[in-house]
Amino acid sequence: MSALLEVRGLRAGYGALEVLRGVDLDVAAGELVAVLGPNGAGKSTLLRAISRYDATLRGGTIVFDGADLTRASTERTVRLGCLQVPEGRQLFGRMSVEDNLRLGAFVRSRRTVESELGTVYERFPVLAQRRAQAAYTLSGGEQQMLAIGRALMARPKLLMLDEPSTGLAPQIVEQIFAIASELARGGTALLIVEQNAYLTLRHADRAYVLENGAVALAGTAAELSRDERVKAIYLGGSTV
Amino acid sequence: MNARLRDDARILAVFAAVVIAFGVLAQHDAGLSQAGTYVAIFAPAAIGLSILLGNVNQISVGQAGFFGIGAYSVGYLTVERGWPFWTAAPLGVVLAAAIGVGLGFVALRFRGHYLAMATLAFGLIAAGVFHAAPFLGHASGITGIPYPQFGPLTISGHAAYWFAWIVAFAIALLSLAMLRGRPGRAFEAIRNDELAAETIGIPTRRYKIIAFAYAGALAAAGGATFAAFLGLVNPDAVGIALSVDVLLMVVLGGSGLISGALFGAALIGYLNVVGHQWDNWREVGYGLLVVLCVIFAPGGVLGTLRRLAARTPSARAAAPLPAVGAAPRVRAPSAEPLAVRGVTKRFGGLVAVDEVSFALQPGTLTALIGPNGAGKTTLFNAICGVGRPTAGRIAIGGIDVTGRQPHRVAALGVGRTFQNARLFGEMTVFENVAAAAAANRRVADRRAREVIARLGLDHLAGVPAKDLAFGDRRRAELARAIAAEPWLLLVDEPAAGLNQPERERLNADLLALRDAGTTLLLIEHDMKLVMAISQRVIVLEFGRVIADAAPAEVQRDPRVVAAYLGTAT
Amino acid sequence: MLQLLIAGLTVGSEFALIALGIHIILRATRVVNFAQGEFSIVGGLIALTCAEALHVNAWFALAGATFAGFVLGLVFEIAVLRPAGRAGGEAGVTIATIGAVFVLLYGHALIPGWGSDSHPLAGFGGPLNIVILSSSKGVGAIVQVQSLWVFALLLVALAALYLFFERTYYGKAIRAAAENPLGARLVGIDVNSARAISVALGIALAAYGGTIIGPITLVGGAAGFALTIKGFVAAIVGGLESPAGCVAGGFVVGVLQVFLQSRMSYDVADPLVYSVLLLMLLVRPQGLFGRRDAVRD
Repeated sequence: MSALLEVRGLRAGYGALEVLRGVDLDVAAGELVAVLGPNGAGKSTLLRAISRYDATLRGGTIVFDGADLTRASTERTVRLGCLQVPEGRQLFGRMSVEDNLRLGAFVRSRRTVESELGTVYERFPVLAQRRAQAAYTLSGGEQQMLAIGRALMARPKLLMLDEPSTGLAPQIVEQIFAIASELARGGTALLIVEQNAYLTLRHADRAYVLENGAVALAGTAAELSRDERVKAIYLGGSTV
Repeated sequence: MNARLRDDARILAVFAAVVIAFGVLAQHDAGLSQAGTYVAIFAPAAIGLSILLGNVNQISVGQAGFFGIGAYSVGYLTVERGWPFWTAAPLGVVLAAAIGVGLGFVALRFRGHYLAMATLAFGLIAAGVFHAAPFLGHASGITGIPYPQFGPLTISGHAAYWFAWIVAFAIALLSLAMLRGRPGRAFEAIRNDELAAETIGIPTRRYKIIAFAYAGALAAAGGATFAAFLGLVNPDAVGIALSVDVLLMVVLGGSGLISGALFGAALIGYLNVVGHQWDNWREVGYGLLVVLCVIFAPGGVLGTLRRLAARTPSARAAAPLPAVGAAPRVRAPSAEPLAVRGVTKRFGGLVAVDEVSFALQPGTLTALIGPNGAGKTTLFNAICGVGRPTAGRIAIGGIDVTGRQPHRVAALGVGRTFQNARLFGEMTVFENVAAAAAANRRVADRRAREVIARLGLDHLAGVPAKDLAFGDRRRAELARAIAAEPWLLLVDEPAAGLNQPERERLNADLLALRDAGTTLLLIEHDMKLVMAISQRVIVLEFGRVIADAAPAEVQRDPRVVAAYLGTAT
Repeated sequence: MLQLLIAGLTVGSEFALIALGIHIILRATRVVNFAQGEFSIVGGLIALTCAEALHVNAWFALAGATFAGFVLGLVFEIAVLRPAGRAGGEAGVTIATIGAVFVLLYGHALIPGWGSDSHPLAGFGGPLNIVILSSSKGVGAIVQVQSLWVFALLLVALAALYLFFERTYYGKAIRAAAENPLGARLVGIDVNSARAISVALGIALAAYGGTIIGPITLVGGAAGFALTIKGFVAAIVGGLESPAGCVAGGFVVGVLQVFLQSRMSYDVADPLVYSVLLLMLLVRPQGLFGRRDAVRD
């Protein structure tokens, strides 16, 4: 099965700084793939490079659903079905929950908005309860759900989450990962960037561990959760 | 003297020659003489705005108000009170400077368009006061202002040209001297990065106020000569239109260059004369020129010419880095270098730092680690005075510094680097380091040379910081942070983005500083580096300290493992 | 007294529209447009040309001027503001708008038929005046029917903008793009287009305002910059970051100006109005209706 997202030899950075030094990565439909690694390893830069904002591409290829993304605009990646829930969520804080969700379907035809909205409310009942409230009044966990819901409104083929657990209580994080697994079972491809390795490995199919801008380890989630080298990468022991 | 000031001085010399030549040629042509005098009268206001806008990056649309203060002071005092010009004018200048200080305080509170509006309001109110004050003649203003008398000599006619230009050049030279000295270097640092400037001990608020007062005083000097030579002053002449004209001169001529301001004044003066029949076309032309300048030639005419003519200083060939030399011993105070007690920082509902307490021992290297969002940089900011902690106390060298402004904390002997290497981009590496090294120019230059040599940055000393490669930026920022020989050094993620040899070099540099007696506190994510060089590791999670021990212990601590990796079930 | 109030509200209507236009453009570009008043003047003159050269009635002239304002706004954003922002940041855009003041102020005087004078503009129909008797003292007020048109048309504009920004999908998308450009890109909104539309709407509003007040205050003339400044004052008084505040501020400043001008000469009244600007900036920069965090530097 060919991958939905194929990244080869990706080099990217910001200004004079090179962060990613040649990353290879695949995600197939229905898979939940984790990207792990300590801070500064380049995980967020990877997502920004794929969604084509902030990070400058220096080399390598990104192919999504057959289309070359290296020169695409952010808006184009969204239209192709590659959606990201970024670090910090980037909601429209002063607009209502419902408006945020509706705007999530900006790239789709107006007729589908209502039914999509219904699906999202079913999946996140708390959003339905708070549909008229301004987004900034929601709690951290609710905002994360709203951000994911907004991305889902565009019926993504690939959903990328950047550190969804930041600042959230463990039960909420479990909820979010459960939803991610459910989406993967439904056929959506998931790419989740996380610092919290073991939690993510419990839910992922496969994972990559980044260190200093390159892939240091890759394998199935089961393999990696038993691999002592993961701990070493995070906490500075030797990596063999 | 830096390259820009040198070019500026050279252009001014050329300008002086032109002014003298023109003065000789125009001595029998009253029209030309007068036109030339006008340029000299408006030039000081333009110079003031050029410094404010180009050197300190504060937009002001209120110069006419100060111009008016100078003009009306001379008008009122000479006509109503019989004062001679020589006492009336300085009084006007001093008055304008005082009011400029007031405007400076107001300016501290605002940025961008709010600042523009505040200065606009000032100009409008000044015009209103000129109009309303009964002793200032209302709409007709003050007339019959006598020419200045110098003994038996009445300065009028063509003598006015020479006088006005002597004043203008005196102001230009004074301004050059100021830009060459401490205020100028402070301005440049503030313009490039205000926060970094504070961190190296520059009192940014004080300098901003000085800039406003100076610009106001200059405009008033111009206004004084205006009143004396035109013989009259009224509210229309010193209204908002003048403020906008001055802005025009500076934008077109080149803000940040004194010669640019003079050139702009001359250009506008010349175009006004040459095009005086085509009022509307001319003004439309000015508007288009301003827009075109902003888009294509941000440095104005002179700035762009300068940029085209400049040869970029090429970095000399990179010599192999010298071995890490011993750093000069620092004199640390006897008390604890840093004591943090119960510090909490809240942003609205979010608690970023939660009851953190620890104290550092002198001459030690301590690492502060923790997952993303744990509050490490916020804690650094609180220690340095960037933002007041919500609760708790911070003592540096035994002195309570809680809530003090960053430049006062820095003055105690504290150095700091930032996560994203906040260098002064348009200044060279040498200038960056010298700006921090000391107040006295000679001492600063000597220390800067020494630090640059020690950190192996010699070959880059003349390169503008914005052109540096990433690893070099970090080293340059470290050089700047240690230039003043601080005894407490806070370093924020110094290894981020460095390759392996650069990291090893960084380790060596940090250890050398520690061995010389500096106390170091380091935020870092590179665990290998942390484990290799720190004697003590403090771990933050969600703003609280969850571990505080030697590196090996922290590495094994299950809570720390869980904080980073989650729990392995 | 009532007479003054009505006059103040009429004048205030134009200030309200200027302030609201400034607000819309500010939200989209983060910069205050110093040329807003000039666009208002030019709008009125375009309406005049439509009415006279094309022999259309006041309504078509209004539509023509508003449409022309929209197009001018698009050009302004794409050809001037965007490149200025790229080259010089926010300061650059601010200075560019000041340059635009020159181009419009002196440029419009060059157009044949416009010049630098004021011209009368045909009204929107109806009798010249209506006499209203106030309840107490039997003191009457004479209200120009054109004033009533101004109020009505102001309400139409406010309603239209409200409906657009609060009730239509695309209007919400534009608000979203102004509030969080990155978030907007991540849902596929083209932020550049959104910003251009915002600026176009702001300029169209200026042109609309200049036209509806035309029958009363004449169109054309050199008062554009003063108008912009009064618009600032209105926006600061009401709250630069709040649309309702801008409108309310417009009325407050309008009434204030008329009352002051009835008591003292124009040249003294105006600076007093400007002092209110400085006072508000010092005491309550977020305006009567604004939130505190909007201003902090």
